[in-house]
Amino acid sequence: MRYKSQSVAYWYFAVAMVLFGLQLVFGLLSASKYLGPDPLLYILPFDVTKVIHTNLLIVWVLTGFMGATYWMVPDESRTELHSVKLAYIQLVLWVLMGVSAIIGYLFRFGTGNKLLEQPLPHKIVIVICMLIFLYNIGMTIKKAGRFTTTEGVLMIGLVTSALLFFPALLHYENYTVSIFYRWWTIHLWVEGVWMMIMGAFLAYLLIRLSGADREVMEKWLYVIVGLVFIAGILGTAHHYYWVGVPTYWLPIGGLFSALEPAALVGMAMYAYSAIRRAGMSHPNKLALHWTIGSALFSLFGAGLLGLAHTWPSVNKWTHGTLITAMHGHAAFYGAYAMIVLAMITYALPSLTRGRPEEGNSLGYWAFWLQIAGMFGMTLSFATAGIGQVYLERIMGMGYLDAQLKIQVHFLMLIATASLFTVGVALFIYDFFRHAPAFIVDNQEETSAVARASV
Amino acid sequence: MNNRQARNFAIGATAVSALVFLALTLDSHRQFGKLTNADQITPQVTHGKDVWHKYNCINCHTLLGEGAYYAPDLTKITQHRGEAYLQAYMRDPAQFYDEKKHRRLMPKQDLSDQEITDLIAFLDWVSKIDNQGWPPRPILVTGSFVPGADTIGSHATGEESAPSAARPVTAEDDPRAQGEHVFRTAVPACNACHSTAPGADMAGPTLAGLATRAAEILTSDSYTGSAKDVEGYIRESIVNPSAHLIPGKMYSANGTSFMPTGYDKSLTQEQLDHLAAYLASLK
Ligand code: HEM
Ligand SMILES: [Fe+2]
Repeated sequence: MRYKSQSVAYWYFAVAMVLFGLQLVFGLLSASKYLGPDPLLYILPFDVTKVIHTNLLIVWVLTGFMGATYWMVPDESRTELHSVKLAYIQLVLWVLMGVSAIIGYLFRFGTGNKLLEQPLPHKIVIVICMLIFLYNIGMTIKKAGRFTTTEGVLMIGLVTSALLFFPALLHYENYTVSIFYRWWTIHLWVEGVWMMIMGAFLAYLLIRLSGADREVMEKWLYVIVGLVFIAGILGTAHHYYWVGVPTYWLPIGGLFSALEPAALVGMAMYAYSAIRRAGMSHPNKLALHWTIGSALFSLFGAGLLGLAHTWPSVNKWTHGTLITAMHGHAAFYGAYAMIVLAMITYALPSLTRGRPEEGNSLGYWAFWLQIAGMFGMTLSFATAGIGQVYLERIMGMGYLDAQLKIQVHFLMLIATASLFTVGVALFIYDFFRHAPAFIVDNQEETSAVARASV
Repeated sequence: MNNRQARNFAIGATAVSALVFLALTLDSHRQFGKLTNADQITPQVTHGKDVWHKYNCINCHTLLGEGAYYAPDLTKITQHRGEAYLQAYMRDPAQFYDEKKHRRLMPKQDLSDQEITDLIAFLDWVSKIDNQGWPPRPILVTGSFVPGADTIGSHATGEESAPSAARPVTAEDDPRAQGEHVFRTAVPACNACHSTAPGADMAGPTLAGLATRAAEILTSDSYTGSAKDVEGYIRESIVNPSAHLIPGKMYSANGTSFMPTGYDKSLTQEQLDHLAAYLASLK
């Protein structure tokens, strides 16, 4: 850690860890309801466990993004944060918002609009937090007067994320129109501006971990961003099949979303070639595992498994089945969970006392158990989903009967999800095992300057 | 390619895509009204939509294929189930499904009668949205394999010489074969609620052994309708479902059968004949 104020990142990461753990509790509960019967039918029905599961995901990933940004921006701009106090106020507000939303969901207090269930007051607090955050970061960069491309991509990603939340604040009389704009937020986040955020973290990590040349890395970052938006914006149309919008969205969605994997292939090649050409220049090999892992797992989960059902003539049969859950889990985990875990793993040795820079065996167990577990979960959803598509959608078997026939895949889901949970539990344990200690060192700074001037 | 060119590529690509996307969005707004029958969004439909949101239905079900995957898709539910059935179901799902058998049960939601009625109006509005004909084949809530699941029979065209099971039925076919076709193509399709497998009761009782059962009903004292023979009884059950009620809380309430009415108007005399001929063959 080179700047004292970077230590705020620790508290954001700590909150993210707790929420991540809770997310899995509600995920496992939801999965066990797939097997049924449900002893909690009138205490904690599926709709409640599911809404808490997805909302915790969004909240912890965003908490991670914020923490990682507070960590990265001082490094890039070579300065202290504008205001540490504001960063803490923002965190407290954010946690209050998140916790009260979750408690509300237990009592069915929500909008009942998928992924945007937060009641209006909570949405407004979200906006306030975003504004504090952007102001704080913006002022930091302005005061420093040093603004790197990597940072610029991150900033534009964060600002546009906030802007794209705006349609979610409005009310729509027509259900189809509300679906139309819901995807402006959800799709353009995960397949648009969040990819910029991920790309920026990826570039930052690769530049620090490998000896790769900043000039070259940032040039390719631009190319990746271009590819993301060429395909991703019009690719929104893959959510416009079958919901009551004009038919021309079908070929547009098919064509452009089929191009979306190009950016993900780009990211994977980017990560691979940086390491191959420039080699390691940093002892934190565990962070490198998470970094490369994120690039590769998102190529699999988002690119390959997204492509698998994005063409209209395929999606016609798979739409609204467990195939969607298969892709959603692998894509979200690979792209956003893993990149946050990569940033945490990179930052942690200088935020805690007595942690070896190169990682320990617990850290590797956490990594591989999560990878294996999530891969197994993806396969379980895939096999369940394929069974469902054939039995229910193609052969015409009733929904409930088809679900009974695919029970064995739910058993497999619970088994692999438990494996995944062990991996996450190890990660969380490893996170809290070493007490926080914020040690500012200038050694790395000088070597970084030396490298930059070569 | 240098750094500046790369940046211009990123900005240019984004700007062009965003412009095209916005233009198409404007055009879509021109068409939303017609595609969704926006003129039929009455206050009742709007209230029904609020009910849908308030009770968090989307975190178990899908609607237009969007939602959670834990409970059946409801896009076309009002075309598969009559209003009376849906009313009764929403009051107490446990009357209809057994958690031991299906391993899942919808928790009772304690909706008011007004909420139920409006929710059904909303779902009915949804079912009429022009959504490119999705789902391509009806998504049923319950039922095992039904004869209608064969693609060949309903889709193949222009192969007149193929054996009867491998091509669509034509007017020259046996009336019972034509009746079987009506059984799965009528709107709402009969096979959405009735199976022809012994013991497989769905939303409606199984029609396996119907002819035998009908003959028994006709001679029993409890029969209140006016049919004289088996085909007459079947015809009566189709056009006037409440003429004779099969016992069971899941089939009727207050003397009204849950089976949808209106087949007297949507089916021709000839189709009714074929249907009766087909069903009378289920001994
Ligand atoms: C990091 C990138 C991505 C993430 C995090 C992500 C996540 C998700 C999630 C969570 C859903 C489920 C939404 C819902 O159920 O409401 C979804 C749906 C979908 N995704 Fe992605 N996705 C990503 C990339 C992609 C890519 C690159 C493609 C295409 C090549 C794609 C194709 C689809 C399609 C077609 C659906 C809709 C499925 C349906 O409803 O029929 N996704 N995605
Ligand atoms: Fe998408």
